[in-house]
Amino acid sequence: MQANLTNSEAPPIMDERIAIFSGAEKRSDQWTLLLIAVGQKRDRAAFAQLFKHFGPLLKGFAHAARNEGWFPGLGDDLVQEVMIKVWQKAHGFNAEKASATTWIYTVARNCRIDMLRRKSNTQHLPLENEDFWSEPDEETPISILQQKRSEDRVQTALAQLPKEQDEILRKVYLEGKSHAEASEELGLPLGTVKSRVRLALQKMQIMISAEEQE
Amino acid sequence: MNNSTNFHPTDSMLIEFSAGSLGVAPSICVSAHLHFCASCRAQLKRLDQVGGQLLGASNSFAVDDDAFDKLMEKIDRAEEPVAQENSNRKMPFSVNKLLSKALVKDSWQRLTSSVAIARFRTGQEEFEVALHKIFAGGKTPKHDHHGLEYTVVLKGSFSDEHAVYREGDFLVRKPGDIHQPMGANNGDCICLSALSAPIKLTNPLGFLMQPWLRINPM
Ligand SMILES: [Zn+2]
Repeated sequence: MQANLTNSEAPPIMDERIAIFSGAEKRSDQWTLLLIAVGQKRDRAAFAQLFKHFGPLLKGFAHAARNEGWFPGLGDDLVQEVMIKVWQKAHGFNAEKASATTWIYTVARNCRIDMLRRKSNTQHLPLENEDFWSEPDEETPISILQQKRSEDRVQTALAQLPKEQDEILRKVYLEGKSHAEASEELGLPLGTVKSRVRLALQKMQIMISAEEQE
Repeated sequence: MNNSTNFHPTDSMLIEFSAGSLGVAPSICVSAHLHFCASCRAQLKRLDQVGGQLLGASNSFAVDDDAFDKLMEKIDRAEEPVAQENSNRKMPFSVNKLLSKALVKDSWQRLTSSVAIARFRTGQEEFEVALHKIFAGGKTPKHDHHGLEYTVVLKGSFSDEHAVYREGDFLVRKPGDIHQPMGANNGDCICLSALSAPIKLTNPLGFLMQPWLRINPM
């Protein structure tokens, strides 16, 4: 893929905000820094780099979903729709709340749902999935370092999950299957699916208890 | 953490919400609850990280060579959306969206002397999504549930035989549950609800009101 850089001669400049925690620069991942540059400076070169990294991943994310409404052009359409949203919403991105990867995941998840629903539903949908997303200001924002540490922990734990737990998480998050659909597909009782998901999340220290709380 | 909410969606519902597989109507209720509940927001944030990491580590597919140029053309042509002004900060973002985009009728419709309803069009037929207003001190008819009902208290409080439910509380009623909600004396109570099947009234005059309470998905 050839990125078009002609519109922006200057290389991405890291702004003052990043300079303040430059000690953390190595720890704060490059995608997050690039997304900040897009949000604050409309930096097209930074955006091109994000596209190069996330474009193919987003296309893979579209291909993973085989839900109702899936169509062959979904991959390319999703890449375009998500990246337009990334460009338009980048100014609202807050690195204290999420990494670029997590933020882009939530944009992609909402877009994919809306595109699948639009295809499978002939009714007019007054709401988009995005309409469910509010981001109230947290009373206790966590620091970018804490944020990063927690993401690293998830990443490390993810790489060490037993195969069956890894498989179930992929089904749930990437294929977008509900627990009930996953149980049907894998021929496992619903309870087993739920507890496998919980075990995996527990290993990542995302969920504290192994029991479902009612 | 200032978190007075006592009743929460289950972990499985939050996981499905984070993964995007929860249905429209329950998603609306979960998002309304998130507005009030810092601990579920924090949990969701962690769950979204799992989605992010999985996306980052998933299979990639080659994108067409001209995809980026096409994208930049579209971006340069597109009009930037005006930042949405939240009309009522006390209400969850999703409820404000419903109020501005999806109301079936502009005014409350009385169901009984003590309950009124405002229905929403949500483009799905599984659940009826609506606001219910229980008037101060109002008693609702005793009823049982044939389907599933999700309720989030948006304003004020109400009680039933089991507990008092306050702003942000998330309730699930399963088929067979019988209850008789009562409005608090100190003000009207407004709830968001998603109801999957007709409620059957159990008081002797119930049959008169039943048509009003019948599910009416939009
Ligand atoms: Zn909660």
